[in-house]
Amino acid sequence: MSRRFTPKVVTANALLEGDAVWLRADGGWSRDMHDAQLFEEEELANEALRHALAQPDLVVGAYLADAKAGPEGPVPTHFREDFRTRGPSNYHLGKQAEA
Amino acid sequence: MYRYDDFDDAFVRTRVAQFRGQVERRIDGSLTEDEFKPLRLMNGLYLQLHAYMLRVAIPYGTLRAEQMRQLGMIAERWDEGYGHFTTRQNIQFNWPKLKDVPDILEALADVEMHAIQTSGNTIRNVTADHFAGAAADEIEDPRPAAELLRQWSTDHPEFQFLPRKFKIAITGSPNDRAVVKAHDIGLRMIRNEAGEPGFEVLVGGGLGRTPMIGKVIRDFLPKEDLLPYCEAIVATYNLLGRRDNKYKARIKITVHENGIDTFRDLVEQKFIETRAAFGGADQELLREIEAAFAPPAFRAVDTAPFEAAREADPVFRAWADTNLAEHKDAGHAIVTISLKKPGATPGDATAEQMRVMADLADKYSYGELRVSHEQNIILPHVAKDDLPALHDALKSVELATANLGLVSDIIACPGMDYCALATARSIPIAQEIAERFEELKLEHEIGELKLKISGCINACGHHHVGHIGILGLDRAGVENYQITLGGDATETAAIGERAGPGFPAEEIVGAIERLVLGYLDVREGPEETFLQAYRRLGPDPFKAALYPDTKDAA
Amino acid sequence: MPLDAPIGERVAALNGRYRHHGATAVLGHALKDPDVGRVALVSSFGAESVVLLHMVATLQRDLPVLFIDTEMLFPETLEYQRELSERLHLTNVQVIKATEAEIEKRDPFGLLHKANPDACCDLRKTVPLETALSQYGAWITGRKRYQGGKRVTLDFFEEEDAKRIKINPLAHWTPKDVQEYIAENRLPRHPLVAQGYPSIGCAPCTSRVADGEDPRAGRWRGRDKDECGIHFIGGKPVRGIPAPGEEPHEEMSDEGVEVLTTEYEAEGGEHAAEETSMNVIVTDTGFGPETYNDEPMDLGSDTNPAELPEGWEQAGMIRIAFPSFNDGRGFTLASGLRAKGYKGRLRAAGHVIADQYAMARRSGFDEVEISPELAERQPEAQWLARADWQAHNYQARLRGRRPAA
Repeated sequence: MSRRFTPKVVTANALLEGDAVWLRADGGWSRDMHDAQLFEEEELANEALRHALAQPDLVVGAYLADAKAGPEGPVPTHFREDFRTRGPSNYHLGKQAEA
Repeated sequence: MYRYDDFDDAFVRTRVAQFRGQVERRIDGSLTEDEFKPLRLMNGLYLQLHAYMLRVAIPYGTLRAEQMRQLGMIAERWDEGYGHFTTRQNIQFNWPKLKDVPDILEALADVEMHAIQTSGNTIRNVTADHFAGAAADEIEDPRPAAELLRQWSTDHPEFQFLPRKFKIAITGSPNDRAVVKAHDIGLRMIRNEAGEPGFEVLVGGGLGRTPMIGKVIRDFLPKEDLLPYCEAIVATYNLLGRRDNKYKARIKITVHENGIDTFRDLVEQKFIETRAAFGGADQELLREIEAAFAPPAFRAVDTAPFEAAREADPVFRAWADTNLAEHKDAGHAIVTISLKKPGATPGDATAEQMRVMADLADKYSYGELRVSHEQNIILPHVAKDDLPALHDALKSVELATANLGLVSDIIACPGMDYCALATARSIPIAQEIAERFEELKLEHEIGELKLKISGCINACGHHHVGHIGILGLDRAGVENYQITLGGDATETAAIGERAGPGFPAEEIVGAIERLVLGYLDVREGPEETFLQAYRRLGPDPFKAALYPDTKDAA
Repeated sequence: MPLDAPIGERVAALNGRYRHHGATAVLGHALKDPDVGRVALVSSFGAESVVLLHMVATLQRDLPVLFIDTEMLFPETLEYQRELSERLHLTNVQVIKATEAEIEKRDPFGLLHKANPDACCDLRKTVPLETALSQYGAWITGRKRYQGGKRVTLDFFEEEDAKRIKINPLAHWTPKDVQEYIAENRLPRHPLVAQGYPSIGCAPCTSRVADGEDPRAGRWRGRDKDECGIHFIGGKPVRGIPAPGEEPHEEMSDEGVEVLTTEYEAEGGEHAAEETSMNVIVTDTGFGPETYNDEPMDLGSDTNPAELPEGWEQAGMIRIAFPSFNDGRGFTLASGLRAKGYKGRLRAAGHVIADQYAMARRSGFDEVEISPELAERQPEAQWLARADWQAHNYQARLRGRRPAA
């Protein structure tokens, strides 16, 4: 029984700073999820994840996260991933403060 | 208070130097993340949702003023200007950069602190009664025993790779303020028939996925047998604990599956061996530690100015009646500084607040502070005639909230605002509930009410032992909050019962309000607390308040 | 053969039995062979003593090691003796001295060595050693054939004046063997060697004593060395020094990790004809090859300490399995065995990582056995970084003594 594949982005935390980063289409990493590449096909997503896992000197704990297309680029579908694009709700810190 | 000797200092400095090398090797790529992760975790460095997090141990919750000041310095210099005090008497810094962590650890070592064994399947920071050394009801200060346990458990060669993490709590008073019954080992000081102090030893308590109340493994353990007996327990668990399933690996499951009697027999058998291995050096050291923890020379105090201020100033009176506890010296009081101002994040203190608390400790509390598992700060020895001045000083930095033990004195884990394991947020729920009851102005009328919130099943927020517990879950991609009722964290410990279906985030505050107002309707009088009413009436009236539209809420 | 059989007969039998063995094997067997009796190693802690000391440390670290302090030694020697004993974890080093009464009587000013060196040796060395050795049935020496004279026919076992057996495990070693052994095991050298002393005795007479070997003075500086491989005795694999011409093919990797490839007969008796690389044995001195010649008693990590296999007390080596580095049961098992009085070699084998080395040693293990793959991933330097396992040991402090000492 296989579940239908839903679109994904590859995300991780930066090794040095520890903050959330997303894999771009050019193979580099962005601190803004809108820059991420959205994978509609499972095989491509898995290949991109392998590419990410092969960069342990840049990022930590890469995984595939659900996402969908938005007007400016991929956006999260789950609240956890949404928090990762912003920061904590009790202080204006993290990505929301950088924007 | 205990001060590091050369041995402690050399140990901690060596660990810092090792970790500095490991961080360098990680950054230059010669250590992979797989190799680095266990090493950073051994030094308390986690990776969370938005950043690294450094968890620093505050052994048995005791801090000297200079240590608190240094924590403030670290928050300001290497973090975002605040720190979070946790339910395990640790402080967490939420925004350190990897390259700065060795410097932070060095700064901690400068004030005799470290982050060792704040993670991993090992014996964690030993926690204790936060009124230790001050409480009127105390048999003995439990901190010398706790310090002995700290030294024994630090870097213990057998116990760095246990089946699962291992937590020890200790109280020197029969009244349990350290939740010892919800720990892997709980130590409660009692006296035997001959009047000698010793410990009732509990084993196999714990919260999390399968909450359990600890079982008595020894009715009375002489003080001098503490280390060999604990070693026998942990060694027995190390061999017997399950390693096939992470969720069944804690000692509570080991004890549950084997039965306390079988487990006790094995421990007592092992105890013969472990006792033979201790040649008395530990007791010699204990005597030195006890001497170091000798109470300060309490000055004689005229309590009249305190009584006068209490009569004259209702704000001071409200604070004094709520946030003070009885000290063993009649001229002094134990002051709890609430880190729960409604709207604030439970357990958070800014660098400025930490500095002020350190200065106030120097000025009014013989240089001492405590951190409670309830995420507040304690000034353990304040002369009563200093209380009005202290209160004024606290007000100026928003630390004079008079809500100790009340509904807004909420325990909350960091939840999904920070924690990578969380399934929902805790902090905003705590903030909203506290603000709501602040608006209702009912808090003091409601009286003692322990509300505890966890953002996942691991229960760092102790929700199982809250009179009201809230557990945040992810229900089909939406934050959902489940309520438990009737939990108790004291010597009469109990695990709360689930009230019924959970509430979405936007409904949970209203549900808690209905629940508490419902309690006011059914209690016999102001002296009957929420927990007492729950125990008298059972869950039905409370469920009816929670689920007014449902005839048979299950 | 009973111990009361004539020594000459026992010596002949022993030489026959171990004719084809290497130094470590001879030593290993000698320490257990009922024909040998009570054994001590006599060591001067001189220029090459470290070879036999290291072998003893790996085989039976509580073997009596007799060190003769003539009270005329170089301070460096005394310091070296202390350091080496600690580093190799020798737990039974006995310092042998002339009695104060004898010194007072015969050399009150400490100048006898000038007037009559032989009498000085007699007073400070020969008599105390003879007295100490009277309790033993055999003693280990470091003499070897290349040293010439009567020694060109030296055997592993010798009869000493119908009193005792002398064991010469290094009989067949060459000077190069000694140097290689010291280098490969990264053993610390006597500090005076670097200053040009080829051998070290008493300070006033070093040159004199250096060229005249006096075996009864306990000076065993002529050590040879060879490193162990595998050779076959009666079709069984024996780890030890092969006789000349039987050496297995050896390859040295860049890190100095010795990889032995040879025809290997599996322990279960199945013949494995393909080349197999050997596990690495990690000790405080770093990586080394197998030094144990018998079958160890293997215990799984799930062993119930109340149901140990029969004969565990006498086992020469107990080897505890670590199926995974995060399975810490082995540490408690080891510590429990030591608590129950186990004195033999204790080895942690399997997935143990370098960062756990100090834990293993503190729990009572003598050594760790890892796969060549793991040794490659976690090179020797990472293990040596934790070889200071006795430093900063809270538990030792609380117990007031080392648990496994």
